[in-house]
Amino acid sequence: MMLEDELTVSTRERDEVAVIDLVGDVTTFAEEKINTAYREVTSKGARLVLLNFRQNDYINSAGIAILIGIVTEVNRNHQKLAVSGLSQHFQKIFRMVGLAQYAGIYQDEEEALAGFKSLT
Amino acid sequence: MRDETPQRAFLEKVIELRLPSKLGYERVAMDTASSLARRMGFATDRVDSLKTAISEAVTNAIEHGNLQDAAMKVVVLLTAREDELIVSVADQGRQQLSQACVFTRPEIGEAFGREDKGGWGIWLIRELMDEVEFTTAPSGGNQVRMVIHLEP
Repeated sequence: MMLEDELTVSTRERDEVAVIDLVGDVTTFAEEKINTAYREVTSKGARLVLLNFRQNDYINSAGIAILIGIVTEVNRNHQKLAVSGLSQHFQKIFRMVGLAQYAGIYQDEEEALAGFKSLT
Repeated sequence: MRDETPQRAFLEKVIELRLPSKLGYERVAMDTASSLARRMGFATDRVDSLKTAISEAVTNAIEHGNLQDAAMKVVVLLTAREDELIVSVADQGRQQLSQACVFTRPEIGEAFGREDKGGWGIWLIRELMDEVEFTTAPSGGNQVRMVIHLEP
């Protein structure tokens, strides 16, 4: 029965932005996959990091804690972080929690890339 | 119809779930609540809020209340009323919920410095539901009762 671990994480580079694609659910089971992907792009020297969600249906407070962990690292490593592809509901949750103060929240990948461009 | 007493009419609108205390089963509660709320006429954003609130309540019950002992149950009651949906989530109380947890408003700035960056679940429930009450169940477990109003 599919009750856990329904997340696929992959990384790619586009216009000098390290894109981390997150397809599936972001819960406590996602921690290792997300942290590994982040460490991988960081070790390659990424300055701009985009967490690209796909209208994920389930992000819970454990998932939020993992993302706060990423923000902590991004701040420590002087990178810039953006988030795209969140559903309206999770955009609201990210704003409530305060993640929006530390990461630009964009509707989709194109908008996020344009947002990064305006920073550089 | 025969036997249409008020008590019977009430019971017909109660759904009871008994979930094993294993992470992942909160999805079953989310799906059931979402299906019921949509049929009651709740708007999509309210259904999304309900799904997050119930997933956090059940996850807390599994992880903290029942300490992930799969043999212990989390009991979810969904009561559909004309103008509201009442959700009650109870665990078997292997661990009591501290009152401090119930009223804490986490701050992201503080979370950066903490090893454990969690603790957002109960706060989210309080923010997303119209009424929230934490009590001790008659069986001694932790119980949270949440209400979401159906706006006309």
